[in-house]
Order: sequence, then C-alpha cells, then structure tokens
Amino acid sequence: MSKLRFMSEFTNLKRIMEAKESFERLHPEVEVVIEQSADHFESLSACRSDEAPDIVESGGWALFNREGMFVDLNPFVEQSGMEADLYTGPLAIARHNGTLPGLPVDMSVPLLVFNKEMFDKAGLPYPEDDWTWERFVEAAKKLTIRGEDGVAVQFGFGIGVDIEWYEPFVFRNGGSYLSPDGRTARGYADSPATIEAMQKIIDAYRVHGIIRKPKEPSSAGQLHEGFAMIFGFMWFAGGLIHHGIDHRRFGLARLPRLAEGRDGNMIYMGGAGITGKCPQPGLAWDFLRHYLIDSPSWPLPLSRSQAEERGLHEHRIWSRYLEELQHAQPSGFYLNEKWNSSRQLINEDIERMIVGGADVAKMLRSWTRYA
Amino acid sequence: MESIAEEEPIGASMALPPAEPSQAADDERKLAERARAGDAEAFGELFERHRQKAKGLAQRLTGDVHMADDVVQEALIRAFLHLGTLADTSRLLPWFYRIVRNQANMKLRRGGPYRKERPFNSLAAPVGREAAAADWEDLDSILSHLAGRASQEAALSRDPAELLLRKETFETIHALLHCLSSKEKGIFKAYFFRQLRPEEIAGMYGMTTGSIYTYIHRSRQKLRQEHIRASLGLIPEARRGVGMGNGKLLELAAGMGEQPRLFTLAGSLGRILAANGEPRSGAELMGDSGMAFRMSISEKTTFSDGLYIFDWQASIQELMAGYGYETAFCCGQLAGSPVPLLGAVESFPVVLPIEEAVLPFIRSRIDAGMPVLYFDTQASRPFVHEWSVIHGYDEDRRIVHVTDPVLPEGKTLPYEDVAGNPIRFLAAFSRKGCSGTAGRKAGNSEAEGRKAKSRFFQALRNGIHFANEGSQYRPRTSYLSYAAGLAAYEAWIRHLADCDTAPNRYGMGQLATAYAEAKRYAAAYLRTAPLRGEDMRMALLASEAYEQAALALEELSLRVPFVKTAEVMPPSLRDGCIPLLRKAKRFESAAVGYMELALKLQIEERGVEDEQA
Repeated sequence: MSKLRFMSEFTNLKRIMEAKESFERLHPEVEVVIEQSADHFESLSACRSDEAPDIVESGGWALFNREGMFVDLNPFVEQSGMEADLYTGPLAIARHNGTLPGLPVDMSVPLLVFNKEMFDKAGLPYPEDDWTWERFVEAAKKLTIRGEDGVAVQFGFGIGVDIEWYEPFVFRNGGSYLSPDGRTARGYADSPATIEAMQKIIDAYRVHGIIRKPKEPSSAGQLHEGFAMIFGFMWFAGGLIHHGIDHRRFGLARLPRLAEGRDGNMIYMGGAGITGKCPQPGLAWDFLRHYLIDSPSWPLPLSRSQAEERGLHEHRIWSRYLEELQHAQPSGFYLNEKWNSSRQLINEDIERMIVGGADVAKMLRSWTRYA
Repeated sequence: MESIAEEEPIGASMALPPAEPSQAADDERKLAERARAGDAEAFGELFERHRQKAKGLAQRLTGDVHMADDVVQEALIRAFLHLGTLADTSRLLPWFYRIVRNQANMKLRRGGPYRKERPFNSLAAPVGREAAAADWEDLDSILSHLAGRASQEAALSRDPAELLLRKETFETIHALLHCLSSKEKGIFKAYFFRQLRPEEIAGMYGMTTGSIYTYIHRSRQKLRQEHIRASLGLIPEARRGVGMGNGKLLELAAGMGEQPRLFTLAGSLGRILAANGEPRSGAELMGDSGMAFRMSISEKTTFSDGLYIFDWQASIQELMAGYGYETAFCCGQLAGSPVPLLGAVESFPVVLPIEEAVLPFIRSRIDAGMPVLYFDTQASRPFVHEWSVIHGYDEDRRIVHVTDPVLPEGKTLPYEDVAGNPIRFLAAFSRKGCSGTAGRKAGNSEAEGRKAKSRFFQALRNGIHFANEGSQYRPRTSYLSYAAGLAAYEAWIRHLADCDTAPNRYGMGQLATAYAEAKRYAAAYLRTAPLRGEDMRMALLASEAYEQAALALEELSLRVPFVKTAEVMPPSLRDGCIPLLRKAKRFESAAVGYMELALKLQIEERGVEDEQA
C-alpha cells in the first residue's frame, strides 16, 4: 500500500477530500492522507523536517520561489500533453523563475464590478471594457453622492489602500514597480509612467473625492451597498453569488485603461507542488493532475476543458474572470521578497499621500529602498 | 503577498487603517527606530538626509574634501554597527555627529591627508622608502604595504620586528578573508599574497584585467569594513582565531508561585522581573497585562494565531511601565523567509540577518545583568513559536542561553539562528530613572497599594471592554481578521459547525489549553481584588464564573489535546466540542456581568467619597 501525504494551508478541504476519495477508488493500492498547515511557516518547517509531506498546497506563492524545495513539473506537463489546455497567464507567472514548481490554485483577478441600479438612476451608460481612466473618473464623480454635511452616502469607486491593488493601474499606464527580474525598483517604481499612474490614483481620493479616504466618515455602508463601482476580485463576486446578493444587479467590465494599448492585470494565486523529498514524484503527479485538472477543482480552474465541462465559459460572471486570466502579469510581490514583506510599510506611505498630501514623485523615489 | 484569502468577505477591502502623523521629526524618529532594529534601508534613508551636513562638518574639521568623504563613510559604518546599543533614538543624530567628529580627529592625529593612510584606488605599487612604512592598524596602509612589496624588502633585510608584524598581518588578513566569496578570495590571495600581476591573474581566471581590478577593489572594500568590525570587537574572537573565553550567564530565579505555562509572554516577563528581584505572581502578570481577559480567534478557522494578534510593543511597554520599567525594542522581519503571525508583525521593518544588528542589543543588557525578552520561532513542540528569555551569551561558542516552555533546563541557540529568526523581536527593560538593574526600591506600601488598585481597575475596565467590544488592534493585511472577546466563542462555534471548512486540530488544541489557562488566571486575579464589601462579593462571583469557564475549556482541551499534529478533525469530535464552548461562553458572560457590577459599585463609592471629601 503506497501512501501520499498531502498538506494544505486552506481551510476548505471539501474539494481535496472528494479528489482523495475518487483517486483511491481508481487506485485501491494508494492511500492519500490529508494534513493541515496553518501557514507558510508551518509548511516550510514540515518540508524541512524528516517527515516532509509529498505535496504541499499553499495559499500564496512565496514557498514556490524557494529554489529546490519543489520538483519541477515542466517535464510532467510536457509528457501529459496538457500544455495547450492550461490558461497561459497564470502558468507564465508560475514559471517566472524558469521552472514550474507548482500548479496554480485559488486564482483570482480583479475586475470592475458595477452596480447597474446606480448607473440607471444617474442616467449613465454602463462601464465598458475599453473605458479610459478619464471616462471612469468622470462617471465616478457623478456617482459620488454626498449629504449636506459632506459625508458620502454613495461613492463612485470602492477600493482599499493597498499597493498591490494599485498595480493593475500602474501596468495599464505602461509602468511597473520592479524590473522584470525583480532585482530592483530603481528606474521602475520611480519611472514617469508609474509616478503618473500613482498620481492619478491619489488624485482620485484627494482631488475627485470618488474613493473613500482612510478614516473618512461614510454613510455608504458595505462595498455591495453604497459603491457604484468596485475593484472586485473573483472572491468578491463569489461572495455576491454565495450570499444571494447578485440577482443580476451587478455587471462586470475590465478595469479602466490609463494608456493606449496597455491592458495588464494582477493575479493572486496559490500553488500545489510536489516536494523535493517526495519518494514517488510520479504517483504524486498522478494525484495532483487528478485533483486539479481531471476533477472539478477550484472556482477558476487552470484547465480550459474543465472550465468548459463545468459550463463556466457561459457563466455571466465566471466567464469574465476566466477571460481576464490571460492578462495576468507577475506582480512585484511574486518577484521580490523584500518588496512583498514591505507591503504594509508601503501602505503606510500611501496613506501619507492620500491623507497628508505627501509628494507622490518623491515618495515613489523613496520606494526604491524596498527592493 | 505572502498568502491570499480563500474567500474575501464583502467589505473587507474597505477596512481602513489609522491615520498617520505627518511631521518630518516624527518620520525621522520612526526611521531611527527602524534603523536601530537593524533596518539597513531606514538607516540609509535617514543618513542620506544628513550626509551633506555631516560631510560639511568633516570638511571643516579636516580641511580636506576627500578625507571628509572617508570620515563620513567610516562614521556611517561605525554608526550602523553600534546603533543597536543606542538606548534613546532621539539622540541618534547628535550621537552620529559626535562619531563624525571623532573620526575626523582620529584621521588628523594620523597626520592629515595621505600622510600614512594612502588612498588605495590606483593599485599602483608604491616605490621607495615611503612604501616601507605601514600603519599596522590600518588596512589600507597594510594593503598598500603588501602591494608595494615593502614587506618583501623587509623580509630580505631579516628585520625580526618587521617579520613578526608581517606574520601577524597575514594572519589577521587570513582571518578576515571569510567575508569574501571564494572567487574574490582566490583573486585577492593571488594579488596580495602570491603577488601576481593583474594580467597574470586575469589569465588564470579567464577574465579581463579590468575585471580583476574590479574584484580587487571590491574585495578591498569588503575587507576594510570587516577590519573595522574586527577592530570594534564585533567579530567573534573564535572567528578571529584568538581564544578569549568571554560571555556571561545570568541565573534565572523562579517566579512567584505558579507561572503561566501557555502564556509565555507573561511567564517570560515574570522571569525577567524575578531576575531583577521583583517577583510577581502569575495572576498579577496575567491580570495586569489583560492577557487573562483576552480571547481572539481567527475568522478563518481554529488556527492558534489569535493568541498572538495584538500590539506587542504597546502591550509590553504599557505593562512594564506600570511596574516602573522603560522598554527598548529591537524588532523586524526577514524577507525571504516565511514569517508566522503576519497580523502581528506586518509593519515590522524588513531587516537583514546580520548578527551585529541583534547581538549588541543582547550583550549590553546581559552584561548589565538584565535578561532579554525574545520571540523564539524554534520553540520545542508542541509549541511553534513562543516568547522566551535570553539570559546569557557565550562568545566562544557563539550561542545564547534561552528559556523554552517545554525544557525546564532551557536551551542554547547559535548566534546565526538568532540573527536568522524570521521574526526579530527582542525587548529589554531598565528601571525608570536608573540605568542599572537595581531591584524595586522599598517604597512606601501605601503608595504601592494605590498603584496596585489603580492597575486592577484599569485591568477590569479593559477586560470588560475587550469582552464586549473586542480588540482595538486590527491587522492592516486585508485577508486577516479576528473575532475577539465574547464574540470569539461564536466564531469558534461557527468554525466547528461549518461543514465546508475543516477546523485546524493542532491550533484548536492550543486554543483550548491556553484559554483555559487564561480563564483560571482571570479567576485568580479577581480573587485578589483590592475591594471590600459588595464590590468584593461581585468580584468573587466573577471569579467563580471564570473558574467554571476554565473548567469547560479544560474539558475541551481533554477532547482536543494540545499535541503536534497535522491530522484533520473528524466530524464526530467537532460536534461534541460545541456544547462545551457554549457553556464556557455562558459562564464568561456572567463573569463579565459581575465585573461590570463591581466596577459600577466602585465608581458610585468613589462618587460618595468625593462628595464627602
């Protein structure tokens, strides 16, 4: 009897449990043992121990950037002939170091989720995929409604203060935070295109007042209640469906473009990979493939044929997110661990720009120290 | 992003963090604190702002623009290496300018520009008698000397003093060479020791002559810095090849009575206070700190991280200030290593894994007789990471002595593990108004009693507020959220009842055991309340209710024990846990109600007393 130990950092184990059962039915000589891990730290400790799991499924990509910790899956993908069936956007990011240390799981990209009723009420046309930033701002200004006391009852746009969430707008202005190899922010975070994009975002808070500032009093309620347009990940849209809030009240469009011909986007994803200490990588691959490619897996699957089988290409919401996967680019947090770890320090700087009016160009020049 | 949300709750992205002060002085203070914690970038940014001014000062003092550059450069290195020992960051800039002055004076004492310290930028071999003179305390001079073959001449002259110096110099440089990569080392040795020409070395390595010059230049710079570190005593003697046998080990006294086992922060602070002659009971530490009354659970599942998610610095500082201590911190996070407890350490600066950023902080406190609080990410199982106490160091063995919740005899950790800890969190304490470690002064007992009473009521207020309103500390990281206070029970029950998610068994075992301990201490703290009459009756009722809550959680911990495991919890086990949590919640709610009554009565009594007064 062979045993495969699968360690997951996720709390929803339903999919993996189902995959375990169906795999064991197909391979009665194999037992798949599901184990839990609280975070990357615990997963790393387990992998370093004498009893390393065979497969690790992690909520982020940081572990997969560690050289030699995981088996390169490229030969397995090649042998299986499944390359053409996989979404290339996330796969390219997974391969940013050359090897393929894991298959992407729990992928999520942001889109512009808009409240149709609010647009109808304002007599405005719905956002379209080719909207420019200027058009987006103009609409958001008309959709921001403030009471006599200046407190907003409705905001034009909803997005939190986070350097990672501003990155799509930077990409869509032709900028980036880091060099393509992630080694430096100099010449990138402080480039004119990045500074210009960031200035536009800060202006959206300070000049146009279309986004809620940190600590700003608000009567707009939650994102799904008082925001006309929302920077919405797949998880947000999933939440609308899960809680029965959608009812076709919301529409989706691509994020606005800041420069002609630029349509990159960010992606959050975890990964599942075979550890370097696994004594049976072939068997582990069989299970990984069974779990992620052959069985119904994550809301956004990596495999086109699976999406097709599940009817996701026809789904009003999921089809849009699947389509967007193709535009995913590697974000700074994939490329440079220091940049990744400095996320909240950078966010504090962003607040200084939004609330305190700190100079954007100067601030971005100072960010070259974070990479 | 380290990890991502499985499901981001609606509205979570609008969680807005607190506003930030904008004054430049405040910015500099923060930079200074980060720099002191070993954050090289913060240090760079801070001193970039003052470089010109420092250079102006150095130029005025030396009268030479090139020497001024060197002075500032060396002052920066010295400042960075010693920053961890600076107690008051507000004195950082005056302290730095003092280093600049000292450096400038040192250069001038050596005889001004280029007298002995030759600028070593041409790599041209010096000639003539001048080349024979070397300042053996200065690496540039030594290298110039070696490159100039002056030592060869000395060897030929059979001058015993010169021979001895030369031998020592070679040994010193050999000992310093560890800072170079193997290729740099090879090229360096070929040039300085084998005295090959750059062209010859280029041929050996298949490189251009220009690259060889670059390698030699870079190696020289690295060695120069290493030499300064060595001369400042920052390189362990063992590495320098000289046995010196130094270090210090402080005896740790037992705390007063039973000390918390699971709440290692309280337990460790108790050991530090006891070592300073001020033992406090476990109940006092758990109650005064609020840890007895706090309960937080991750909104994701029964991970144990909720136990650690609060403002570490503010909590420790506040507790120890109440006991009359000032606190100094050394903190940061390493990039490139997964960091546990992101919600607590997310805003720590990114620091480098260099020993010099941590060890001076430890050594100086241990030398002064005061143990250091340390967050250990190598705690023995079933613990993962816990607070501990560093109470000794050994320079020869390059280790620190540290406590461990599972090992009564403690353990040792290599220096490199301390520097390489993904979470850098150390705290050192000194009595307010005195630099040494003198114990609690025998003050008048009436004043002590008033202070204790004030602490108790503050703890009561905080405990009630926490139970009803939850924690004021919220991580900025959008996908991390925690249910706190009485609401934590509901989150816990929800995790167990949710068929879609699997509660984390390992984490749950720790939560049950730790919170059972906390409730026990809450009960004990309330029993010692400095109250009388009806107020005290209410406190005792609250204490009894906490005992019952503790009993329910202890029963839970028997079902789900705190043991290292990766196993998934079976549904049958989950169901049996929910009634116990409901029971614990009922008793804790009652306890909070009695605490509110006790506080209300006390406020009324004070009002009467005030009126009478």
